[in-house]
This record gives sequence, C-alpha cells and structure tokens, in this order.
Amino acid sequence: MQPKRILVALAGTSADPDVIRLVAWVAKPAKAEVVGIHVIEVRWNLPLDAVMEPELDRGEELLESAKKVADQAGLQLETELLQARDAAAAIVDTAVERKCDLIVVAMPYRKRLGRVYVGRTVQNVYVNAPCAVLAYRQEENK
Amino acid sequence: MTADEPEPPDTPSLERRVKQTGRHVGDQYVRIMRPTGSGIRGHGGRYVATEQTMDRTGRVGRGWDATVRFLIGKRLHSDAEAEERIGVATGLPILASDNVSSSAYATEEAMRILAIAGGAALALTMPIALAVVFVLAIVVLSESRVIRAYPNGGGSYLVARENHGVVAGLVAASALLIDYVLTVAVSTAAGVAAISSFVPELHQHRVMVGIVLIAVLAVGNLRGVREAGLLFAAPTYAYMLAMYGLLAYGLFRIFTGDVPAAVTPPDPFPAEGTAALSILLVLRAFASGSVGLTGSEAVANGVPSFKRPETKNAVITLVLMGAIFATIFLGVTYLATKIGIQPDQSEIETVNSMITRAVVGAGTPFYYFVQVTTAIILLLAANTGFTGFPRLASVLANDRFMPRHFADVGSRLAFNTGIVVLSVLAALILAAFGGSVNALVPLYTIGVFLAFTLSQSGLVRRWWRLRNPGWRLSMAINTFGAVVTGTVLIVVAITKFALGAWMVMVLIPVIVALLYAINRHYQTTQDALVISGTDQRVPVYAAPVVIVPIARLDRAALQALAFARSVSPTVKAVHVSMSRASADEFRVRWNRLGTDVALDVLESPFRSLVQPLLRYIDAIDKSDDRPITVVLSEFVPSHWWEWLLHSQTAFRLKAALLFRPNTIVIDVPYHHRDTADLARG
Repeated sequence: MQPKRILVALAGTSADPDVIRLVAWVAKPAKAEVVGIHVIEVRWNLPLDAVMEPELDRGEELLESAKKVADQAGLQLETELLQARDAAAAIVDTAVERKCDLIVVAMPYRKRLGRVYVGRTVQNVYVNAPCAVLAYRQEENK
Repeated sequence: MTADEPEPPDTPSLERRVKQTGRHVGDQYVRIMRPTGSGIRGHGGRYVATEQTMDRTGRVGRGWDATVRFLIGKRLHSDAEAEERIGVATGLPILASDNVSSSAYATEEAMRILAIAGGAALALTMPIALAVVFVLAIVVLSESRVIRAYPNGGGSYLVARENHGVVAGLVAASALLIDYVLTVAVSTAAGVAAISSFVPELHQHRVMVGIVLIAVLAVGNLRGVREAGLLFAAPTYAYMLAMYGLLAYGLFRIFTGDVPAAVTPPDPFPAEGTAALSILLVLRAFASGSVGLTGSEAVANGVPSFKRPETKNAVITLVLMGAIFATIFLGVTYLATKIGIQPDQSEIETVNSMITRAVVGAGTPFYYFVQVTTAIILLLAANTGFTGFPRLASVLANDRFMPRHFADVGSRLAFNTGIVVLSVLAALILAAFGGSVNALVPLYTIGVFLAFTLSQSGLVRRWWRLRNPGWRLSMAINTFGAVVTGTVLIVVAITKFALGAWMVMVLIPVIVALLYAINRHYQTTQDALVISGTDQRVPVYAAPVVIVPIARLDRAALQALAFARSVSPTVKAVHVSMSRASADEFRVRWNRLGTDVALDVLESPFRSLVQPLLRYIDAIDKSDDRPITVVLSEFVPSHWWEWLLHSQTAFRLKAALLFRPNTIVIDVPYHHRDTADLARG
C-alpha cells in the first residue's frame, strides 16, 4: 500500500516523536502529504468553541515540537488544532474531509489482571475510520 | 480595545475558528486556524513571539544568524535573567579581576618612579606599598557601606547624584566611564607586556595584539555575564595559585637564608639616578602605586549581578578582593626589594618576570606558568571594564543621560551597545598611546579617586541626613574614607597632571556637558510627545491630499496610483519632465490611460528632479488646508547589488521629505517578482 495522504493524531504523549518518525518512514518513499492534528476535547458543560487557554497552549506546544521532529526527519508536516466533544470522531471526520488513506495513532495501553486495555479514542478510530489505521504501540515505561 | 472585547468584523486576526459538521449528528468540531510557522503563539488578542519569530529568512539572514549564534551563543529568554546572576566564586573573577590583577604591576609602577632617583630610592617601595594597602583597606570598608546603602547598584554615580545633586552624579559617572575605558586599555597593554616579556618578538606588534585581545574580550562578554564569568574564572584562580606559589617559595628561600640572586633587566635605569629624591617624587611613586586601587568600585557598581542575598555576596567578594590584592602586592614588593630587583626602563621585561626568574629560574615550567597566568589575568582585568561600563551606561540611559540604546538588553541579556562602544574606545586609546602601560597609567587613577571621593562624601551626607541606628560609625568610616581618597586624588592630580592627567580633567567636564545635552534633548522630546490627561481620544482627520510623483507610466506607477485612490478621493499625479517634448509625450500617454486622476506636468529645464518636486509640494500645501500625503512608487530589484543599477529617485525623495513638517510619506514598493494587484478585494 502506498498512502497518498496520511493523518497523524498527536496526543502529546512521549510516543509522539516515535510516531512522527514512523510516519516519515512510511510517507517519504510514497511522497505522501502528512497532516498532524491535535484534538482538544471540550467538556459538555462548556460551549464547543470555548477558549481553553492552558489546553490551547499545550496543543500549540506539542504541534510545534512535532513539527521540529518532522523537520529533523525530513518530513513536511502540516499541523492543525481542533476542538471537539469526542477526539475520535474529529480525527475520523478530518481524515474523511481531507481524503486521507491512512490514519496513524499512538496507542497507549494499560495491563490489568493480565488483560490489555486500550483507550477509547484509539478503539473508536479503529472502528469508525473509513481508511487504514496504523496504531503505534507505546512501550511501557520500565 | 481590550482582549475581552469582540473584534469588529473583517479585522485581520491571527486566529480563526471555523465550526465543521461531522459525519454523524452531534459530531461537530471546531477547526482553529492560524498561520502555520509564524512562531507567534497565543489567542484572544494576546500573543507571544516565540524564538522562532527571531529566525531570519533567506540565505544571507540564515548565515548571519548562524554566525552570531556561533560567536555569542543561543538567544536567552528574558526569564533566564535570574540564572545569569553570579555567586562569590564567579563574581571574584568577573568583578575583582581588575583589582587583583593590579598586583601584577602596581609594585613596578611605584618602582619605576623611584628608580628615577637612583637604585637606593627603591628601598622606599615597601613603605609606599604599605600606604597603598592602608588606603585600600579604607576604600574596602567604605565601599562595603556603599553596597549596604545602595543594594540596587549604580555605585558612585547614584550615591553622588542622590546626596550631592545631579552635577556631582554626572561628574562621578563621567570619571567612572573614562576609568572603565582606561581599565580595558591599560589591562590589555599590561597583558601584552607580560606576554612580550617571554615572547619579545611580540613587542613591536603590541598594539595589534592588544586590539585583537580586546575584540576577543568583547565577544566573550557579548555571550553574557555568567558565561563570561565561567570563561574567566579558571585563569583568575590559576593566577592566584601561581602568585601564592611564587611568594611561598620566594619567602621560604629568603627565610632559610638562600636569598635569590638579583637578575638584571634588559635596559636598567641609571644606578645613580637622573633626578633628586624629593617629596614630589615619593608622592608620584605613591600615586603610581595607587593604580592597584582601581577596580575596587566595580563590586559596588555590580551588586545587582549577584545571586541572592546580593548585598552579602557583594560584601564577601569585596573583602576577598581586598585581601587577595593586599597579600600578593605586599608579597611581590617584599620579594622585589629583598632580592634587589630593578625595573626595566624600556618595559621589555616586567618586575614580576624578573622576580620569577630570580626565584625559580628562567625557562622553568613554573616561570612560564607565572608569566602565562599573569598575562591572562591582566587581560581579564579588562573584563571589569566590560562589566562596569555597560552597566553604568545602562543606568545613565535609563535616567536619560545617555542614548537609549545603552539600556537595550541583547540576545544574551548583556548590554551589547555598551560592550561594543567600550571596545572601540579602548582600542582607539590603546592605538593612540602605542600600547604603552607607562604612558596610559597616569591617566588612569584620577577618575576612580574622583568617583571614590564623591561617593564617600555623599554617604557622609546621607548618614547625617538619615541618622539611622549606627549612623555615627558609618559616618566616621565614610568621612575618613572621603578624606583619604580625596587626599590621594589631589596627590594624583598634582603629580600626574603634566604626564597626562590633564586630559582626564579636560574630558570630565566635556562628558558632563554631553550627558546634560542628551538629557535636555530627551526632556524636550518627552514634553512634545507625552499625552497629558486621561481623557485623550484618537483624533479624526479629513482625507488628505495625495500627491503621486510619477517618473514614467509603468506597473509600479499604476500600483502607487491605485493605492493613492484607496487612501483619499483627492489624488494628484505629478510628472517632472526635462523638456517640453517629453512633457507633451507623457501627457498623451496619460490621456490614453483614461484615468480620472488629475495630472500636473512640471517642466524642469535645469534637469533637477527633487528640488522642483519639493517646491511643487510646498505650493500645493500652501493652497490647501488638508494634510499632504506623498505616495512614492519604488521598484525593488531581486538582488541587493541590483540597487546600484537604479537611480533611487524614490529613496532620494524620501530622504528629502523626511524632515518636512506635516507631510506623510508612503512608499509603495513594487517587487521584481510582484504579481500582486492592489485592486483585489
């Protein structure tokens, strides 16, 4: 598969730099366009377009860091900041709107009683995405 | 408009929020659109320019950035100011290196004067050294009171200004500014002299070597106070180690009866002397030895540079500085007189070099260690000037006595303008005096003693006025300090007047007058610009009369005309023609354009462009009450060197109109690759 447009969802975890490098590895040979998004989830007691300064600052910061990592990896990364009630829906909708053929997400997980639990955002993206989804499993901190 | 007020529609904004509908009901989301890569962060009308905004674009700009980063380092955030502060261990090499390094040549300066009266007169070196150390003790005690009374720094300038008035403050400031420049020049010259003691080939190139070293120090200081301190700390401590090692070994040999044999200088003074030993000569020797007191004011001036508690750290540094100078100075003087060292008439070899040669032998590793560390500390002593001058200049600039650039903080939180100006002045003085320590020293001490006397006497008035607990002791200390430093000032002024001190005496009033003139200019400007009252509103102007000078009908001219019409309905185009024929030809072309803008054609049979245009603008201005706006079209070529191929008429007109009152000049650039159409939208 040679993706032409890749959407990479950045959550601001320690896995983000690795995800960007992984995307660069996939995108460069295919000369694919890459867009990196960060979704700020807005609580239901606030209006959807509420200005949440700390979250906006954090979002801008992590997108800037992602851009730096992308520059180092020789990848042209377009970034976008979104606000939504549900991050997974915004990721999928953006991927549809931009006609992306691959979504890349980091997959932090927890182990409880021998079972692996993945966050709901990754699960919802997996279920609802109309295109391929590549999940980067984040290594557990040792 | 405050950040909370909504912006009027169509106002350009750095952030746009667009609501998007998702695939399912309720899957709405907001896209926050902002210009990517601008480096500006923030929202709601409050933005912060990040470091990214400082990056220049283009090959030349990026190259310049890379060069600056290589030379002076990465830019520092304003919040890093606290981290740039120094402790006692770093403060000693930064602020006390001037005073400590004086121990390397103070003995020699006193001996050089005494040697004029013959070899026997050199026996007076030790009593003179004791007198100098006594004065230093008084100065240290008095300066510690200055530090406690003025913990925000400013030193002698602030003390004199607050207690004696502005004139006295400016006199102290001028004296200190001169002294800091001389500190750099003298220290560099002395450092080069120390190097040329063991590399005599450098003696003939001493000015050039000195200028290069000043440039190196300037770059080191542009990197910021803390980094400069870290850079200079090791050599300062190495010098102390070398000198204490030399003194310990020399004293050990003397006290064990193995007194080193005296070495002969390359060019000794005549043994019988060339002048009689007089009181004046002894006073001159004392004045020359007092050169060792210079630099002791730097700690009081730089209190804000210290980490908390600033006052305590500054006082500890001051006391350590005095103790180190006194022990090395007295030790060197004792060894010199005990061994029987004589100064070198032509300054090829220093007294320190001869002492080391006598004690440990020439060519030994320790000899080179002493010489190299001495050379380095003498150079680093110049760093006290680099710390003091920019800081004092910034204080004066904040008080509007010096140009404002001196108060601007550079990318490494250093006062760049002060550092650069100091380097240039010191290099000029060094070159003017041929790099000779002996020629520069007479100019040196007068400024610092004038500042000392003013600050000490200022403190006396302060204690008398405030009468805080313990004021009697403080007043007694400062009165004694003022008397002692005042006496030394008179001695220095009299004995060194003909040798060059007169230059400083002439220069101080000149600088005071200059500082006053600068202050008067700023006061006048402030009176003219400041808004009085709180109910001021933005005035509403009538649309101006817009004049568009047009050299020829091209794309640049059309763009300027289009812009002019967007500014005002009253637009007048004017063409200056060199002949009747070309004037007629231009009018025909203009008519073909079919514009409603009125045209005046001005014939200039004397082929001048700018002057007739200026007169034309004057005439229009007299005939109409509305403000005049001149819109200039300017062609901007792709490369800088292509500027040379164009006549720069717009540039000349801009320059000519710059000082014309009530005239607004708008430049409409037309770039070579410009495809912009101002009529769009």
